[in-house]
Amino acid sequence: MAENVAQELWEEEDTQKDKFLTFVLGNEFYGIEIRYVTEIVGMQPITEVPELPDYIRGIINLRGKIIPVMDVRLRFRKPFREYNDRTCIIVVDIGDISIGLIIDSVSEVLSIPGGDIVAPPEVSKGSGNKFIKGIGKVGGDVKLILDCDKLLNDEETENLSNL
Amino acid sequence: MKEVLIVDDAAFMRASIRIMLEKNGFKVVGEAENGLKGVEKYKELRPEIVTMDITMPEMDGIEALKAIKEFDPMAKVVMLTAMGQEPMVMDAVMSGAKSFIVKPFKEEVVVQTLKKVLVQQ
Amino acid sequence: MFTISDRSTYEPMLDIFIFETVKQLEQLEQLVICTEKSNCYTENAINEIFRIMHTIKGSAAMMLFDNISMLAHTIEDLFYFLREEKPRDIDCAALSDLVLEGVDFIKVEVDKIKNGHKADGNAADLSKKIRSFLSILKEHGGSPASSDVNKQLQDVKQKYYISQDKTAAAAGKNAFRALLHFEEGCGMEHIRAYSVVHNLRNVSTELNYIPENVIASDESVEVIRKEGFTIYIKTDLTYGEINELLQHTVFLKELALTQMDDPEPVNEIPQKKHIMLEDDGVEAPKLQKEEATVSSGLQQSLISVNVNKLDRLMDLVGEMVIAEAMVTQNPDLKGLELHNFQKAARQLKKITSELQDMVMSVRMIPISATFHKMHRIVRDMCRKLNKEVQLELIGEETEVDKNIIEHISDPLMHLIRNSIDHGIEAAEDRKLKGKPQSGTITLTAQNAGSDVVITVRDDGKGLNREKILQRAKEHGLIHKPEEEMSDKEVYSLIFLPGFSTKDNISEFSGRGVGMDVVVKNIETVGGSVSVDSTAGAGATITMKIPLTLAIIDGMNIKVGSAMYTIPTIAIKESFRAEKKNIIIDPDGNEMIMVRGQCYPVLRLHERFRVKTDVTDIPKGIIVMVENREDYICMYADELVGEQQVVVKTLPSYIRNMRRIRGLAGCTLLGDGRISLILDIAGLVEK
Repeated sequence: MAENVAQELWEEEDTQKDKFLTFVLGNEFYGIEIRYVTEIVGMQPITEVPELPDYIRGIINLRGKIIPVMDVRLRFRKPFREYNDRTCIIVVDIGDISIGLIIDSVSEVLSIPGGDIVAPPEVSKGSGNKFIKGIGKVGGDVKLILDCDKLLNDEETENLSNL
Repeated sequence: MKEVLIVDDAAFMRASIRIMLEKNGFKVVGEAENGLKGVEKYKELRPEIVTMDITMPEMDGIEALKAIKEFDPMAKVVMLTAMGQEPMVMDAVMSGAKSFIVKPFKEEVVVQTLKKVLVQQ
Repeated sequence: MFTISDRSTYEPMLDIFIFETVKQLEQLEQLVICTEKSNCYTENAINEIFRIMHTIKGSAAMMLFDNISMLAHTIEDLFYFLREEKPRDIDCAALSDLVLEGVDFIKVEVDKIKNGHKADGNAADLSKKIRSFLSILKEHGGSPASSDVNKQLQDVKQKYYISQDKTAAAAGKNAFRALLHFEEGCGMEHIRAYSVVHNLRNVSTELNYIPENVIASDESVEVIRKEGFTIYIKTDLTYGEINELLQHTVFLKELALTQMDDPEPVNEIPQKKHIMLEDDGVEAPKLQKEEATVSSGLQQSLISVNVNKLDRLMDLVGEMVIAEAMVTQNPDLKGLELHNFQKAARQLKKITSELQDMVMSVRMIPISATFHKMHRIVRDMCRKLNKEVQLELIGEETEVDKNIIEHISDPLMHLIRNSIDHGIEAAEDRKLKGKPQSGTITLTAQNAGSDVVITVRDDGKGLNREKILQRAKEHGLIHKPEEEMSDKEVYSLIFLPGFSTKDNISEFSGRGVGMDVVVKNIETVGGSVSVDSTAGAGATITMKIPLTLAIIDGMNIKVGSAMYTIPTIAIKESFRAEKKNIIIDPDGNEMIMVRGQCYPVLRLHERFRVKTDVTDIPKGIIVMVENREDYICMYADELVGEQQVVVKTLPSYIRNMRRIRGLAGCTLLGDGRISLILDIAGLVEK
């Protein structure tokens, strides 16, 4: 298990460049740029909001602030997994939008210099790939670097027309 | 029409007197929070009668009374006083105050005093 | 003495009493705190404090709050002495403590009154302390104060011109003897008596009266009360004229006026000293010289306005905005080319907008008053804990809605107490760490878009991650491995209910209050709280509060495990329906019969796709709502209760995604759960 993941998150802000928070979804590791992450919280009661895509589970109350939460598994069209006590919500701030990302578990903070990141392959395996900005190589492992912008903004037109 | 000017530095007092008087057919034409403004308002409004607190900043009630009497010797001024202020009340009476009301007072006291003073010459 | 007899006069007077007294106490506090900084009581300060206590004494007595009035009187006496005698070597610190203790007592009583309870506090001990402080001053202060009113009055007496010369008077035509009795309890009878005499001097040539020493005090008052006041007067006026004049005496109970045939007896009264009344230009000694007092600096050109009027004004402006839209966007105008009309409509819209902004701004007041209140808290905490802390205020001119101000005060106080208690180190510790001996707490307020951001920052030792984790573990508040928790996450644990325990509740902070109550308070006004800290350097608590507040009366309802809130204004009625009143129309829609009328049924659990076991009509509740004359009957599990809720908009991410018909926003319930506010117009729409 990762040790003191969070500690590293908040040290030396000026060296946030090239730092990624990695987390797990099923068998894959994903990375998200540290500069977007404001905090990580455990699972909270979610208030459902109707008429939204299934991957938007609803809203939560974070010390008075109401933020939407997105199940990243569902966003990636992976099968839904029941939440347990390892499940976390990564709160990110992108532009002026605050949103919580529900993920299986948090891994560690890693430095992945630009040189170790390659572009994602063209072939899309499921629709998860359109949210990947790049592939990071760390040791022998692969971390899929998330494109937060697309994650938040890309509309799944099929989803909407189902409603 | 029984027009009154209320001079007192405490908003509470002004409000209390206003409420009591308006209930009893008086018309409060103005309020002032210190002696200086009281004199100004008197000159501006020429009310039939004035209630004047003694202890006020800027200019106290006695000074204001004298200034008003100088401006208008026929002015009817009733002083509002507290126990222990006898010398000042005396001074006021000698300077032309028509009567005085001791705090704390009943509604009837204010009303009767003002009514009586209004009919005096 | 009963002063206020009826409800319609009492309540508004009570409001003003509370408002003014609170304001004056705040002024007084500031005065004392400023005085402590300069370590001496200036003449102005003494005058101000005297005046404030004098006013509170009077107002409290009028409202029959005798305990407050008497305490104020005691302090007034003390400051009267200070003002008149100007003793040196006053123990300023002890004096300040006494005054502040008095302020606190009155504050507590006024609070009780504000909340509709009895003001039953007992200030006897405090009064005793103040009185003994005063007597010590009197002993040490050289010549004891002659607050003896009587003595002063006697001085007055001696200034009268007294002539023994009987012949000096020109004989008046008529002589009268008048015996006056005053009404019981009218007070200061001797001065009333003197007043009568004074009024007679213009019309008389000679005046004698009994008792003669009217201006000399209690004895004469008693005599006048028991035996009446006798005047012998020589005048040219007729009986009728003198009678009328005397009848106008205020508080006159009885007058016995007799004409005396022989003028001479006027001179024969036992005490021979009669007073020649000339224009003697007598002046009572100026015993209380009121100097122009310097205003305490917190006074501006203001009027106080009843908040209800403001609320009504805001409602009206809101209605006007809608009405303006209904005119300028009226369907009747569709397709018409009305240039002049459009121009005028634009102007109307512009003015309406500005009016709306203006009215909203009227409810905004600067946060400075609230910030300044904190000085007292800092002062008290420093004294009790023996620490040195400076309070720095930044952005106090920032304006905040009046409603919000009331909810910020308590949290701020708690946060500051907490900082001083647990955050700021003792002076020696700070020195050892190389920090300035005096700790600093910085309060800032600033506008950030549609929110106000208020921060409380201290330069103390900061939050301790390990300690917090440990305590959280003890209370079973941790649900994930510690290593995975960020510092910020750990620090946020302090906001959880149950975090503060009896063990760490010192006298000052966490008195069953705790950080979670701070969060509750802020959430109540639609705001949010966060905390950050640097070990060793300090901690910062940030509160973000929306600038203005939309508050509505709502009825909370339950559907499955979801909570919804219906604006009360839209509710016509609610009831449990019977199966027999339900019919299905030709299109298959569920309808319900109510008193002969047919209304569509909207099953909320279907509309919002919520799982619930309550699907049988008689088991749930029907709420009939109306919007623009359209009615529907909503079906829910149960009614939970009415409350006033703060409307928060749904997060912009969701709003941008799609406009959800039927939802107007959301709100936080008392238990932290989110309730979705229903938009009745959207639900009623076909």
